[in-house]
Amino acid sequence: MPEQEAQFAIDRSGPASILQVTGDWTIHTIGLIDAELRAVRDLIEDRPAIVDVSALLDLDTAGAYVIEKALHSSVAEPAQMIGKHPVAGRMLAEVRKFTIGCEALPAPVAVWRQLLERIGRGMMEIYKECYDTIGFFGETVVACGKAIVNPGRVRWLPTFAVAESAGLNAVPIVMTLSFFIGAVIAFLGKTILQDFGASVFTIELVGFAVLREFGVLITAIILAGRSDSSFTAQIGSMKMTQEIDAMRILGMNPMEMLVVPRVIALLVMFPILTFLAMIAGIAGGAIVTVATLDISPVLFFNRLNDNVGVDQFWAGMGKAPVFAFIIAIIGCRQGLKVESNVISLGQRTTTSVVQALFMVIVVEAVFALIYMELGI
Amino acid sequence: MNRSDALTPILDIADEEVAIRLRGVGNRFGPVVIHEHLDLDILRGETIGIVGGSGTGKSVLMRAIIGLRPPSEGTIMVLGHDVWSQDPAERKALDARWGVMFQDGALFSNLTVRENVMVPLTEHTNLPPELRVEIADLKILMAGLPSSSADKLPSELSGGMRKRAALARAIALDPDILFLDEPTAGLDPITAGKFDALVNELKDTLGLTIFLITHDLDTLRDACDRVAALAEGKVTAIGPLDHLREHATGWLSEYFGGPRGRAALG
Repeated sequence: MPEQEAQFAIDRSGPASILQVTGDWTIHTIGLIDAELRAVRDLIEDRPAIVDVSALLDLDTAGAYVIEKALHSSVAEPAQMIGKHPVAGRMLAEVRKFTIGCEALPAPVAVWRQLLERIGRGMMEIYKECYDTIGFFGETVVACGKAIVNPGRVRWLPTFAVAESAGLNAVPIVMTLSFFIGAVIAFLGKTILQDFGASVFTIELVGFAVLREFGVLITAIILAGRSDSSFTAQIGSMKMTQEIDAMRILGMNPMEMLVVPRVIALLVMFPILTFLAMIAGIAGGAIVTVATLDISPVLFFNRLNDNVGVDQFWAGMGKAPVFAFIIAIIGCRQGLKVESNVISLGQRTTTSVVQALFMVIVVEAVFALIYMELGI
Repeated sequence: MNRSDALTPILDIADEEVAIRLRGVGNRFGPVVIHEHLDLDILRGETIGIVGGSGTGKSVLMRAIIGLRPPSEGTIMVLGHDVWSQDPAERKALDARWGVMFQDGALFSNLTVRENVMVPLTEHTNLPPELRVEIADLKILMAGLPSSSADKLPSELSGGMRKRAALARAIALDPDILFLDEPTAGLDPITAGKFDALVNELKDTLGLTIFLITHDLDTLRDACDRVAALAEGKVTAIGPLDHLREHATGWLSEYFGGPRGRAALG
């Protein structure tokens, strides 16, 4: 059945204003007339108002609402109704019950104030994040300390499971990427150093870069993206399904059950991955160097041994446990902070990866300063 | 015969008086047959309660009627329109005429309650934004929520309030038919009782036809005009609750005759 346009007319000749409504007044028709009706609302003024529904066709609660509002804004008493309509009386009465209780929306806050408020909130958030992370760091250290003192309490099964999924399964990607990074460094070294007639130093460049920085950094970045997000999502979804509450009730400590296994697994697997990354990186560099510079593999490894040395290997390896710890605790902490809704799971996973990457780069810079001061 | 007492799934009446008409509906998941040759007529303005054991396909039937899952066979007419018609105009005519309240509310978790209620208004009407907000607030109040909850996210509400918010969204467009999937599941008896009263009140105000899936015997008693029992892929019994109780067989007699049934129905 086609809808009839909603229309109204106001008769002000008598002692009371009569609002005559015609056509269909439903949620699909009132949109066109609402502005007009708002404009005349004030014209009804403080005279008693009567609504004439004799020519009204279809009416729903939305239509009743705008009629009631037009009448109600001018008089305190409920409006009278003339004319016959099957549902109008009941609808208007029903809607009146709720419009009386309706309070106006609070005035919107000025934009500049909203901006300041958000900046302030953001700052407080950063402060709280830092404070909480340090707190969680301490908590984890204590939990790990307890685990070392009493190794029987460590949950070995989940530890090995994490070591496999976060460590072993990451071997191909870590090695492949390191291989290419090593190769790229060699190309870069060859191109630039050739101009100075010093292309043989490409070997030293590859050695220093891969052993000292990139082996461990590539591993850290991949694990920050790969394992950190999975730690947060795993623990977070357990939090959402109240599994963690259930653990607490059953007397199991979530730190011991979830965090310690992940920390231990990463502490063990990270150096191994770093070692593999270094091998792959050196291999990538070696292949490019040997293939493009007419240098024999023997010369490559001799120079690597004499001029780079094992110190650089340990300088790189020394960072591995630190990165492992950072990645594990950030992932676990964000997971434990997930609330019982889907948005927070997404937010926490993002935060977790961003924080881990940020911390890895910052710590890398700190290490660079320390090594420089130590003269390594 | 008073039609709201009708005791057969198929009623010999004109299309205009029927809200939902199912003929020969079949649903199957691979080899598993859920419904076979299912017929059912639901009258305009009645509240029909759908009962049945687990796995009898109550929700599957609802999903087929509201156009979420195509039935394997048969026709589904809602308000005289074929739900599964290939004609897009036919489908669109129906979109704004039913409201659905899913079992867990299915509120959009990133929107506030008011924004949730405004979604159908924005999609299906040309109302100015100001009026949209006002009508959303009206529906929130009609669903029995305090106006302070309009700005809250679904996750900040209790289970009962979430159901009310879902109901507010379902009635946003003043639908002709309201589908309620287990509206009182997981609510305490007092809140559930209030919810039943609310549904009755809305039905009287808005003149709704209500398709209500429930296990709650109190809801069947307090809110439903007729009850249809699903079993063996069909509507095996239909009629007012008292009639069904007197003539209950099989699963139904267990359902009504068990300790819970006796306690609820006396």
